[in-house]
Amino acid sequence: MNRYKLFTAILLLIASPFASAKTVEMEVNGLVCGFCAQGIEKTLKALPATEGVFVSLENRLVAVQLKDGTEIDDAALRKALKDSGYTVVAIRRTERSLDELRQQAKRDD
Amino acid sequence: MQFLLRWAAIALLGSLPMLAAAKPIAFAKGTTVMAEYGAETMNEVQLFYAPRYWYSIGGGWLELTSDDKSKQRHITYVRANLLAKRWNLPGAQANVFAWGGLGRATGNDFAGDTLARNVGVQIDYETRRIYTAFRSDLQESDRFSHRIDTLQLGWAPYEHDYDTLATWLVVQGRRYTGELFDGIETAFLVRFFKGGTWVEIGATTDGKLQAMAMFNF
Repeated sequence: MNRYKLFTAILLLIASPFASAKTVEMEVNGLVCGFCAQGIEKTLKALPATEGVFVSLENRLVAVQLKDGTEIDDAALRKALKDSGYTVVAIRRTERSLDELRQQAKRDD
Repeated sequence: MQFLLRWAAIALLGSLPMLAAAKPIAFAKGTTVMAEYGAETMNEVQLFYAPRYWYSIGGGWLELTSDDKSKQRHITYVRANLLAKRWNLPGAQANVFAWGGLGRATGNDFAGDTLARNVGVQIDYETRRIYTAFRSDLQESDRFSHRIDTLQLGWAPYEHDYDTLATWLVVQGRRYTGELFDGIETAFLVRFFKGGTWVEIGATTDGKLQAMAMFNF
C-alpha cells in the first residue's frame, strides 16, 4: 500500500508542471515593433486553447495563457511563431498570470 | 541654411549602410493599407493582403509628377511582394523584400495608355531604437522608365513597447530617375505608430509636405 502511495505521489510530481501550468512563456528573437507583436497575437489568439496573449518587446517575451483543462505542446507553439515569421529561443511553463507578466514588464521598463 | 541642412542630411545618410520604409508585408493573414503624399513628386496608395508572413498580393495607384510639372504619370498596378530573407536576432530584425507587378499607365507626354512593369527591392534593419532601410522601386514601360530610390534613417528617443506609442525621428533621402527630380530630395519626418496604425509627417528641405499613413489589420 505504501509502495502504491509513493508511486502515485511520484507520478503526480512528474505530471504537475504540465497539468497545472496555465501560462506558456516564450523567449522570441526578432521582436522589435508593434507590427511584430500584432501578428503574433493574431496567430496565437486563433488557437483553440488560448485564453489570452501578452507580448513584451522589452523582455522579448510572448506569453500564452491557456484555457482551463487545455494544453498546447511546444512543437505547436514553435510552429505558430515560425509561421508568424519569428524564432522561438526558449519555452517555459509557469503559473504566472498575464497580469503578473504585465506588471513585471512595467517594472522592467 | 537649406544648403547646409541638405548636405548634413546627405552626409548622415551616406554614413549608414542602409535605411527604411514601411514593410510591404506586415504579418500573416494581415491586410495593409498605405497612402503616401510625397512632396508633390510622388503620391501612392496601396492595398495588400498577406496569406502567409512571407508573401502578400494586392495593388496600388501611383502618381509621379516631375519637379517642373512637365511630366506626369498615373500608374495602376497589381503586385506580389516576397519576403526573400529574414534574420531574427535578439532585439533586432533584418529583412530583404522583393516585389514585381504589372499595370496600366497614362502620361501627359504620350497618347493613350501603356503596359507598366514594376520591380523593386527593400533591405531593412531595425532595433527598438534604430530603424534603417533602403528601397528601390522601378516603374517601367515602353514610354518611360522611373526608378525611385529611398533611403531612411530612423532614431527613437525612447524604446516603445506593444502597448505604448512609438515615436521615431526620421531622415529620408529620395532620388528619382527619368527626369522627374534633379538631385536628392531630402525630408525630415516624425513617425508615430501604435498597434496597427502608422503615421508619418514632415517636410522636405525645400518646404514641401511629406506624409504617410499605414494601417495593418
